[in-house]
Amino acid sequence: MTDTILIDGEQVKITNPEKVLWPEVNIRKIDFIATMIKIGKYILPHAKDRLLTTIRYPDGVNGKSFYQKNIPDYAPDWVNHQQWNDINYIVLNKASTLAWLGNQAALELHTSFNVHQEPMSPTSLVFDLDPSEGQTFDQVVEVALIVYETLNSLGIEAWIKTSGATGLQIYIPTGNQYTYDQARKINQFFGMYFSEKYPNKITIERMVNKRGKKLYFDYLQMWHGKTITLVYSPRARKYASVSMPVAWDELKNGIKPEDFTLLNVEERLMKKGDLFAPLLEKKKIQSLKPILQFIKEKNI
Amino acid sequence: MHTMWKGSVSFGLVNIPIKMFAATEDKQIKFRYLHDQCHTPVKYQKVCPTCNREITQEEIVKGFEYETGKFVIIKDEDLEGLQPAFSKAIEIIDFVDLVEIDPIYFDKTYYLSPQDTGGKAYNLLRQAMLDTGKIGIAQITIRSKQSLAALRVYKNLLVLETIFYPDEVRAVDLVPGVPENVQVDEKELTMAKQLVENLTAPFEPDKYKDDYREALREMINKKIEGEEFEVAPEAPQRNIIDLMQALQASIEQTETKPKPVEKKTRGRKKKTTAS
Repeated sequence: MTDTILIDGEQVKITNPEKVLWPEVNIRKIDFIATMIKIGKYILPHAKDRLLTTIRYPDGVNGKSFYQKNIPDYAPDWVNHQQWNDINYIVLNKASTLAWLGNQAALELHTSFNVHQEPMSPTSLVFDLDPSEGQTFDQVVEVALIVYETLNSLGIEAWIKTSGATGLQIYIPTGNQYTYDQARKINQFFGMYFSEKYPNKITIERMVNKRGKKLYFDYLQMWHGKTITLVYSPRARKYASVSMPVAWDELKNGIKPEDFTLLNVEERLMKKGDLFAPLLEKKKIQSLKPILQFIKEKNI
Repeated sequence: MHTMWKGSVSFGLVNIPIKMFAATEDKQIKFRYLHDQCHTPVKYQKVCPTCNREITQEEIVKGFEYETGKFVIIKDEDLEGLQPAFSKAIEIIDFVDLVEIDPIYFDKTYYLSPQDTGGKAYNLLRQAMLDTGKIGIAQITIRSKQSLAALRVYKNLLVLETIFYPDEVRAVDLVPGVPENVQVDEKELTMAKQLVENLTAPFEPDKYKDDYREALREMINKKIEGEEFEVAPEAPQRNIIDLMQALQASIEQTETKPKPVEKKTRGRKKKTTAS
């Protein structure tokens, strides 16, 4: 059974609309696509101009999956794409592409840290807080709040979202001021500081089996060619959780990644708006120059 | 248990074929030395600094340094001629009381067990020593080293304690700073004796443990299980924490608080609506 929907002036074919993608919460493909279209105006500004990697689950979250980086040759002409380093990436910049990806059962959307016009500079400094096995989400929150306090003490404003899976991700908008090299130096400085100040809680150890029950402060993920979960992207997890920005106060009061799902994402966005909108504002771009200079001076 | 020597114990006309085992073992935890880059165990090479090349085991001879840098070469044949005739025997020379031997003389302990045909004679010697309360003093040669030994009964076994020759024990008058002929205060002595009595307890070896070795073992196990071992923070670690404080202070001072960067890079980003 095939339907066609008209969106953004493009005809998007929907195949198998009744196929259940998240059986535990009974979300069909058509429900998924409908929700994505509804929250499209929140997602698209964040995806715009970035190189997109999707994880496709043709048979739903419990079936096989594969990463898709290259635009498939059967993609409609109107799907934008951008060549970078041997890969012809999809660029998600319109609702029709969002619907088309939905039909592809591209359940997870991950984007580059940079826009394609600035291939060597991330738009934000991102701290990826990734719990080790056996850790609770509360432990991740605890570390996030430590990071928050430290950033505050340096006069840095930051925003946070759930990864939609088990972690939290902290963003400091820096525009394209810093290269990946410089950004990594700053991240590494923070990683070293946190792991040494809180050696029982935080680690920067790359080997998973050496991390123990500590939160992994991933300062290496932020790099060209690597990706991070796009804000509001669903995750291929039982409860159809989505990557959701939260206010620091909400975090203090206690949240869980499963609180935010495809089933309530629209309602939350209607009520709270896009908490990540400041990341798109020029006036929120911050200078980390004193930190960078400090790192250079102290030869860290 | 691994047999380290086979031979016989002889006293008078009695000859007891025995096997010998090490009675004690060093449980010190051993580390291997690795290259810090790739964690490969380091290999040691024997190098001759004169010929500037690696040399093999066959090329190595023994030398005795009789004067710094001057050697006489000692060949295996030279040594063979010196081996005592009864090199496979523990020959009991005397029987003495154990208390006559000061513990300073004891070196290593070995367990002895009878070889197939030696059971009866082994038992005979064991019983004779138990009944008389005496121990045997024997001359032994193990691996080309001749030494003195005490043969005694420990639990149900004959054990051999190698003992140092008297000239191997250093003279006590070589130890500096030992007080001589000092008058002892009677009262103090009484108190000291009382203290000794209060602390007197039966010797229970099980209650003494090598705490360091156990802590080390535990630390190693944690590492193996992937639990990070917590090391007392050292200078470089404190360093970065101090540095953060310094950074915080410098930022507070210079008032470079969240300064929105209004200039630069915005134009570029604006134009990205393309594609």
